[in-house]
Amino acid sequence: MKINITMTLCALFLFTGCVKDVKPWEKGTLAKKSMKESGTNPLAKKYEEHIYYSKEASRGGNGVAGGGCGCN
Amino acid sequence: MQLRISLAAATLLSSMAIQAEDYVSVQYLQYNESNNRTAVSAPSIMLNKDFGTDYTLNVNVVADAVSGASETFYDASSGASAYSRGIGVNASDVEYGNVEYDDTRVAGGATLITRFDNRDELTVGLNYSSESDFYSAEGSLEYMHWLTSSKNNSLSLGLSYQSNEVLVKCNPDSATSSCDAGSGASEAMTNDAINVQASYFQNINSESYAKVSLFYIGDSGYLTNPYSNVVRNYVDGGTADVVGENRPDSRAAYGLSLKYANAITSNLSAHIGYRYYTDDWDIDSHTIDTDFYYEPSSDWLIKLGLRYYMQSEANFYSAEKDYFTNEEFASSDIRLGKFNAITYKTDVEYKISDDFSANFGVNYYDQSEGLDATYLMTGVTYRF
Repeated sequence: MKINITMTLCALFLFTGCVKDVKPWEKGTLAKKSMKESGTNPLAKKYEEHIYYSKEASRGGNGVAGGGCGCN
Repeated sequence: MQLRISLAAATLLSSMAIQAEDYVSVQYLQYNESNNRTAVSAPSIMLNKDFGTDYTLNVNVVADAVSGASETFYDASSGASAYSRGIGVNASDVEYGNVEYDDTRVAGGATLITRFDNRDELTVGLNYSSESDFYSAEGSLEYMHWLTSSKNNSLSLGLSYQSNEVLVKCNPDSATSSCDAGSGASEAMTNDAINVQASYFQNINSESYAKVSLFYIGDSGYLTNPYSNVVRNYVDGGTADVVGENRPDSRAAYGLSLKYANAITSNLSAHIGYRYYTDDWDIDSHTIDTDFYYEPSSDWLIKLGLRYYMQSEANFYSAEKDYFTNEEFASSDIRLGKFNAITYKTDVEYKISDDFSANFGVNYYDQSEGLDATYLMTGVTYRF
């Protein structure tokens, strides 16, 4: 729980303390492939999530779509 | 005038950088666990296609061939199988080890993103998965709303519903009594899952962004692993019951996810993520995931990543053969136990031409309870 509170405070700080209004012409770096949330290889990311899903007891946090698995 | 030209040039460069990509990617995964346990060969293909600026379609298909063995308790006097079960077997015949299995899986998914006049996005998704003993269908909706005209922050709300069917071989300790154990038949058990996620996204500056998400996952129905056994009423030197595990028929999970990405230099960026998960089976987990991307030239992209995961055990879990007696819920499936895991990730992508790129990656997954696996991923991507 202590970790949760710390992380939440860090996130709030990020969102309120040092946020700049980024202009459209300043978004080139943010739009780079290496900055994408899904990574540079979306299929590899899906595989990776699938492996964790089949070997660990927890899931979630990466969007609502994922597909089922009878990973027994 | 000079300023106006500079702004126009910058805007043009920016729009070139953020233009969507149409591509087809073909990938191959080879996954191998140590000690001849599970091995997976999985070719897959993904198509991403824009239709104007308002629609993006993504389709993917994967086929898995799975073979190997998984660990569980079994009655060795009747063979090493997940169905080597019995009431009152000799305690000395109870063993824990690998039972062989093989399976194939075909799964596919599609998402369609629709962008409105204000550039809000609606994503509609469908997923399907089929195995010899498992079927799954899923539908999802996600709406992303830009909070300001500068489009530097947004709120997203997503919802998915998944319906699953599990074929369970009839046996004497089956969850339902209507199944004839002598027939060799299977009965179809069902479960479903609802996943809700709300996210807030923020561009922090021109080099970094962050995203925080809250999620809920509700599972209900048959959640038991039909291939996992437990031992009940074990008497050393006497007898024991080797029976199928039994899990609660519902599970409610909540979690928090934080993601942060930063372009440290023009050719080095870092992604850092943290997830906290908790559910009413008493499983808590923490995940820290980091990826670093380095571009030594315009043709090469190198990824190095490290993921750390730790979870607590379910309140009905025990790995001991002399633990369970008449508890309603019982499982010895290691995936519900307490462990931690580290994943070491590497990947290299090479741009062969303006249209083609090739990638090769090696990952190593190491669990504290003995499981470790190496998985290779290689493929080509064609952009058009």
